[in-house]
Amino acid sequence: MTKFTDHLWSDLAREHGPALAQADRPEPARAPLLRRPRVLAGSTLGLAGVGTALALTLGASSTPAFAVTTSGDGSVLVTINQTTALPQANAKLTAMGIHEQITIYMASGAAAVSGPVTCTPAPGVSNLPGPPVKVLVGTNGTQVINSGNTGAGTWHLGACHLTGDSGSGNTGNTGPG
Amino acid sequence: MPERPVAVRARSRGRPPRSPLEEFEQVYLRNVDVLMGYFARRCHDPHTVADLTSETFVQAMDGFARFDPRRGSDRAWLFGIAAHVFARHCEQSAGGRDAAARLGGHRTLGMDEIEELAERIDAEREGAALMRRCARLPAVERAAIELVDLDGLSPKEAAQALGVSGVAFRKRLSRARSRLRKEHESND
Repeated sequence: MTKFTDHLWSDLAREHGPALAQADRPEPARAPLLRRPRVLAGSTLGLAGVGTALALTLGASSTPAFAVTTSGDGSVLVTINQTTALPQANAKLTAMGIHEQITIYMASGAAAVSGPVTCTPAPGVSNLPGPPVKVLVGTNGTQVINSGNTGAGTWHLGACHLTGDSGSGNTGNTGPG
Repeated sequence: MPERPVAVRARSRGRPPRSPLEEFEQVYLRNVDVLMGYFARRCHDPHTVADLTSETFVQAMDGFARFDPRRGSDRAWLFGIAAHVFARHCEQSAGGRDAAARLGGHRTLGMDEIEELAERIDAEREGAALMRRCARLPAVERAAIELVDLDGLSPKEAAQALGVSGVAFRKRLSRARSRLRKEHESND
C-alpha cells in the first residue's frame, strides 16, 4: 500500500473499527477474488496457484508504465512495467476497438522462459473476436520488486486470461444504505 | 509517530478473516487502489481525491454490517457508494461549499502522500482522456465503459453498482464500445 492508503486504513480502524468489531455480519466472509479471480484493477494482482491477493507497489521507474503495440501478424503485445497501469492498458485496448480485457496472475520466482506470455480465454469464455494478445511483464518476463515495497521479491507472469463482454447481472447492495 | 492499531499490524492476508474488521480490511485492500483511480480521473486536486476516497470508505465501514456478499460483490457495492459520494461532492461544490469541510475535515495530508496522490492523478491521464472521448455518449453508456474498461469491474459487478439488470447493462456496454470503435476508426 502507499502511505496514503496505509494511513487511511489506520484512521478507519482507529475511528470506526471498534464499532465494526461488534457488528453482526450476514454470513462469514466470502472472498470473491479467490473464487472468481478477475483482477484488473490498480495494483492488485492474482497469484496463480495460491489464490491470494497481493498488492504490488512498484518503485518509480523511468520506463513507461505500459505499452500496447500491434505486430505485423495482427497480434497485440501489452508490455506492463507497473501494475497500476493495468487498467490503463485495458483502456488502451478498448480505445483501439479491441473487445478483450486482460487479467494477469503473478507467481513468485523468475520466469522459466523469458519473453511474453500468450493470453488464453478465461474459464467459461469463448468466441473472443479480437486478435491474439500477449503480455510481457518487465523487460523479459521477470519483475523484481525491491525490498521496502509491498510484494518485495521476484515475480513472473504465471498466466494471462482474456475476457470479453460477458456475465449477467443481479441487484442488491447498491448504494450505502 | 503513534502506534498503529493492532488490526492494522495484524493483517489477515492469506487466511479467512476472523472478525468483521478483518473482513472489511480485506475489502479495503482489494478496492482502495481502484477507487482512488475512480476519483483521480475526476479530480485534479490530491486533497479532493483523498477526501472522496476517505469518505467512501467511512460510509462503507459504517454500512458494512448491512452489506450482504450473497447479493453482490464488495467492489460493486463500493462503487455504488463512490458514485453517491461523488454526486454529493458535485452538488456541494456547485453550491460553493468546501468539500473537505463538508466531509468532516479528514486529517491533513503529508507532503509524501500529496505526491503519491498527484502521481496517481497523473497515472489516470489516459483514463481521463478516454472519459473525455466518451463525453458525447449518454451518461449511462459512459458509466458502463468506465466501470468495466477502466475500473476493472465485471459486467455483472458494474450492473450491480449502477443498479440495473445485467441484460440492460450489456446492451449499454456493447453500444458504447461500438460508438467508441467507430469514432476511433473515423479518426484514423
